[in-house]
Amino acid sequence: MDAARVGVITFPGSLDDRDAARAIRLAGAEPVALWHADHDLRGVDAVVLPGGFSYGDYLRAGAIARFAPLMTEVVDAAKGGLPVLGICNGFQVLCESHLLPGALLPNAGLHFVCRDQRLRIDNADTAWTTEYRVGQEVVIPVKNRDGRYTADERTLAELEDTGRVVARYVDLNPNGSLGDIAGICNEAGNVVGLMPHPEHAVESLTGPSTDGLGFFTSIVKRLVNA
Amino acid sequence: MSDERWTNDDQRAPEGSGMTERDERVPGGGPEDAAGGPGPQQDTGEPTFEWFADLKSDADDPELQPVSNSVTAAFEAIVEEDAPRDEAAEPGAAGPGTGPLPAVGAEPGPVGPGAGPLPAVGAEPGPGVAPQPPVPQGPPTGPQPVVPPEGAGTGPQPVVQEGPPTGPQPAVTGAFPAAPQPPVPPQPAVPPQPPGPPPVVMSPDAAEVFAKALAAERQQSPEPPAPDHPVPDHPVPGEPAGPGPFAEPAPAAGAAEPTGPQPVPQPGPQPGPADPARPKLATEMTPPDEPVTDTVEIAAATPDRPQPYAELGMKEEEYRRVREILGRRPTSAELAIYSVMWSEHCSYKSSKVHLRQFGEKAPETDALLVGMGENAGVVDIGRGWAVTFKVESHNHPSYVEPYQGAATGVGGIVRDIMSMGARPVAVMDSLRFGPADAPDTQRVLPGVVAGIGGYGNSLGLPNIGGETVFDPCYAQNPLVNALCVGVMRHEDIKRAVAPGPGNRVILFGAGTGPDGIGGASVLASATFDEESQAKRPSVQVGDPFMEKLLIECCQELFREDLVVGIQDLGAAGVSCATTELAAAGTGGMHIELDSVPLRDATLRPEEILMSESQERMMAVVEPAKVDRFLEICAKWEIPATVIGAVTDTGRLVMTWRGEKIVDIPPGTAADEGPVYHRPYEPPADLAALQSDTPGRLTRPTTADELRRTVLWLAGSPNLASKTWVTSQYDRYVLGNTVLAMPEDAGVLRVDDESGLGIALSLDGNGRYTRLDPYSGAQLALSEAYRNVAATGARPLAVTNCLNFGSPEDPGVMWQFARAVEGLADACRYLGTPVTGGNVSFYNQTGTTPINPTPVVGVLGVHDDVRRRVGIAFSSEGATLALLGQTREEFGGSEWAHVVYGHLGGLPPKVDLPAEVALASVLVAAAREGLLAAAHDLSDGGLSQALVESCLRGGLGAQITLPGDPFVSLFSESVARAVVAVRPGSEGRLAALCEAAGVPVTQLGVTGGDALHISARGADGQPQELFSIPLAELRETHEHIVPSYAND
Repeated sequence: MDAARVGVITFPGSLDDRDAARAIRLAGAEPVALWHADHDLRGVDAVVLPGGFSYGDYLRAGAIARFAPLMTEVVDAAKGGLPVLGICNGFQVLCESHLLPGALLPNAGLHFVCRDQRLRIDNADTAWTTEYRVGQEVVIPVKNRDGRYTADERTLAELEDTGRVVARYVDLNPNGSLGDIAGICNEAGNVVGLMPHPEHAVESLTGPSTDGLGFFTSIVKRLVNA
Repeated sequence: MSDERWTNDDQRAPEGSGMTERDERVPGGGPEDAAGGPGPQQDTGEPTFEWFADLKSDADDPELQPVSNSVTAAFEAIVEEDAPRDEAAEPGAAGPGTGPLPAVGAEPGPVGPGAGPLPAVGAEPGPGVAPQPPVPQGPPTGPQPVVPPEGAGTGPQPVVQEGPPTGPQPAVTGAFPAAPQPPVPPQPAVPPQPPGPPPVVMSPDAAEVFAKALAAERQQSPEPPAPDHPVPDHPVPGEPAGPGPFAEPAPAAGAAEPTGPQPVPQPGPQPGPADPARPKLATEMTPPDEPVTDTVEIAAATPDRPQPYAELGMKEEEYRRVREILGRRPTSAELAIYSVMWSEHCSYKSSKVHLRQFGEKAPETDALLVGMGENAGVVDIGRGWAVTFKVESHNHPSYVEPYQGAATGVGGIVRDIMSMGARPVAVMDSLRFGPADAPDTQRVLPGVVAGIGGYGNSLGLPNIGGETVFDPCYAQNPLVNALCVGVMRHEDIKRAVAPGPGNRVILFGAGTGPDGIGGASVLASATFDEESQAKRPSVQVGDPFMEKLLIECCQELFREDLVVGIQDLGAAGVSCATTELAAAGTGGMHIELDSVPLRDATLRPEEILMSESQERMMAVVEPAKVDRFLEICAKWEIPATVIGAVTDTGRLVMTWRGEKIVDIPPGTAADEGPVYHRPYEPPADLAALQSDTPGRLTRPTTADELRRTVLWLAGSPNLASKTWVTSQYDRYVLGNTVLAMPEDAGVLRVDDESGLGIALSLDGNGRYTRLDPYSGAQLALSEAYRNVAATGARPLAVTNCLNFGSPEDPGVMWQFARAVEGLADACRYLGTPVTGGNVSFYNQTGTTPINPTPVVGVLGVHDDVRRRVGIAFSSEGATLALLGQTREEFGGSEWAHVVYGHLGGLPPKVDLPAEVALASVLVAAAREGLLAAAHDLSDGGLSQALVESCLRGGLGAQITLPGDPFVSLFSESVARAVVAVRPGSEGRLAALCEAAGVPVTQLGVTGGDALHISARGADGQPQELFSIPLAELRETHEHIVPSYAND
């Protein structure tokens, strides 16, 4: 059986695209490079929007990338159920694209923060988290400048009530996110946005843990079983 | 390796703007003038040349130099000669809102619902806000330097009168107490710009003309080129035109009749005003009040016209030599080139005679693929992989404008590495500031850290280590040294050469603006005082997004083999890149200077030549590959323009609007700069300093005093955790970081399959070097060498950044000479060649130089990074051993510094054979998997090493000190490391040590949640002196918010 094909979009200013591709490979899938300026998802089974500073984030993080030609296809496909994971800048792009609610503001401390962060997985039913248990704590690097999740009260209540908070910061909230939110998903659970970087926790040699691999193996299992 | 190579390196270094170190003395008519007060200049018998003082009267003349100390002003002087300015226009021109502005909102951006400004974002107050360039908005709009509103005194912007403010100008107002950028101002009402070529500012009139010219150019450029191509009647660059690369330039009316106030040429025969028979175009191109361009023809006809060489920092002798070379007076453009290329920091004229030793004493090695003489040396690490690395300073700009100064320091060194053909894979930074609790440190440090993070993080380069040091001597002269390392396959190595007549010269990347014009000279020399504020516009502004695109674009260009030669633009910008590429190639080049895409259409040719606008590269490309080259640039949305071609004439010729303004043999500017043998002698206070040994200082003796001393040091600014700094750097990106700070060295995986990798450490100790420069430099090298070996890597090669005071001070020159000698001797002994480096002079305040601070980077190779050894004590029951010999050495120690603020005596004795032996044991032990941890001993001695290893692994230790407790804990003897041995490997380690002649002392065992320290009593039995719970250690070492933090 062919390996699942997972696309990684490169926007101008994407930085963790090769890391995401490596994680996908380690999870047993085939990474497929996608170019922001194309209108072609190349038949991938899932898509990762990687971290970085698309367009320098000189405007607002993700605000320009969301107008990339390929995002038309991503939005359509996501609405049709294609699994999509946005990491860091990718999360910001998903919020800007309205695939996910809310927004990400500059960190509370106004500094870029890079640290090995303890998280709790609060939803193990999304397309990207089935390999985890609810309540499981993992250590995954967080590194961002604009990572403070925010949304209006109604949206926050809805996210909480419907179990759409995928992961939360534990021990310490590195950026002032409301509700310690580190990641959320859409109603269908196929679109997940995550501020921490699971692709940096896939090898014991280079990461603080291998706890991040589960995000990628989750999607691979799902695709294989589909 | 010949010394010539180092020499070349010196001269070549500047294009990385990391090289934009302001090493230079005053450009503005003399040191006093530039520093705004009595400079430290000591005319201590300069043997070769004298400062030319006569012209100082000119410099002091407000007519000629409205700004006291900027080279912009010097240019003003040049311009003045040709065309007295409308003085009335000046204040306005320099006022807020009239400087060159980014043309915000030229095009409605893709703003959709929800894309409006989030009020909370922009309103966030406080310094330390986001590492954003102070641009209104719009991504690659090439941030413009801000002009302080002090207006008239800050450097008149040349000819901007007709440029109305086009958007909210984020001018920095007044003083600059807040370190990093102020928050991004509330989103301008104008929509953001989509990515694209940088906008330019131009006069409405000019815009129309340019628009027409543009039409002709468009097909040629992949991108809408910056609409500054003012020479539409020239053959389209990129098309072969007859025998020469370019057709004969259309004779244009250089002295054409402008419609505005007519520039009045200076005395001397002039070729007269416009010849009416000439084509009209150049006239149209000339903004109304633009001065006459100083052409070669005019220069030849007006030999006696006075030229402001002194204001540009040239000495009379140097100026005379230029005239000899050219056989006439230089044009103002040529003068700009020579002045900047022969400046201290581009020509290394004071340091060259000493730096030769790095070549002369270079050890035999086959690891060097490219030695000194290129942008950076290249080292063979095996399996077909090559590594290039280099460290450079950006000290003075970082003091003036901490965020941008540091950011562009990173940007410059990264471009140096790119121009070798490598993919940059990591950065490091070595930082030095004044006292941690000084108010100005709170301004400078957060800004510098945010700048390094903001730039490096946005490039996607992990920051894997460095140092942060505090000492009063750096209070008004911080050191910001940035290192970049890149990786490539052997066959991909690129050179900065321009061979092959007919090959095209392409400038790509950001547009050229008025950034840092003369920065290469202006900031270089100035010692700092209250005048610094006036210099702010000279600091370049970085655009890391553009640089990230350049990295990816270059990788693709290299992959398709589209580049014959490549050079980055940094200090001295186009001057440096063209002269060096040409000098290293066939020897000739023809450049149409007016093809350079501008962000500010009013820039004069001299300014274009000297602009230090960031994120620019120059490539030499075969004609047949130009189209593909431009296509790839277009894919990455990078403006690229053919600006000339390689010739075999042996001359660097530049034209401006059809007229020849530069015609020089490029080697004379690039390679044949002046060389000074400056006098040197030991500083007068050295003997007294060395005789004031720390022996007189009262030592802690009781258990409680010792305990408190351990904590005191662990929490002192230099030894405390630097997490506040390093957590602002991305250490994970690219996924190959195996070890990063606070480990002994950064370790990177290079090859996924084999595990081949590298280790890098960057170290320096100004206090040691102050006490004994020869030893101090060797101690810096020893420490970096030891750090690399402690991870298990084989040390291979060296880079260095030599931060010193004024070379005109014989005491400083002596420190420099001794340090270079020490470093060269030690490199030879250790078998680690110097592959390149950087010299930063004039680091001083008033007449007081900083402690001489050579910062040394050592590169090591790991055959398999999976066998690397970290510093953490993380497994219970490991035997702890001390490798090496401890002597009673406290001169320049952290203990003397922290507890007494004392600096005196002699630094620890250098022991290179012991370093080699220790490294051999560490490398072999790592390879055999004997070690669970290893940590080198340096600042703070054993005490500090134990604290760091315990906290890193979250595990305590029981230690029995081998000798006098105070000496055992705090001595800083070299060639030592503490190791945690895996159970069962003790015998093998002992055997390795014995074979290598490395003394081993058993210290104790890991375990528990406290650091227990015992000493042997009179009966020889261990008796516990004290213990410190890890929680208390951690609180002291890590959890106290540093005094320099701004949050």
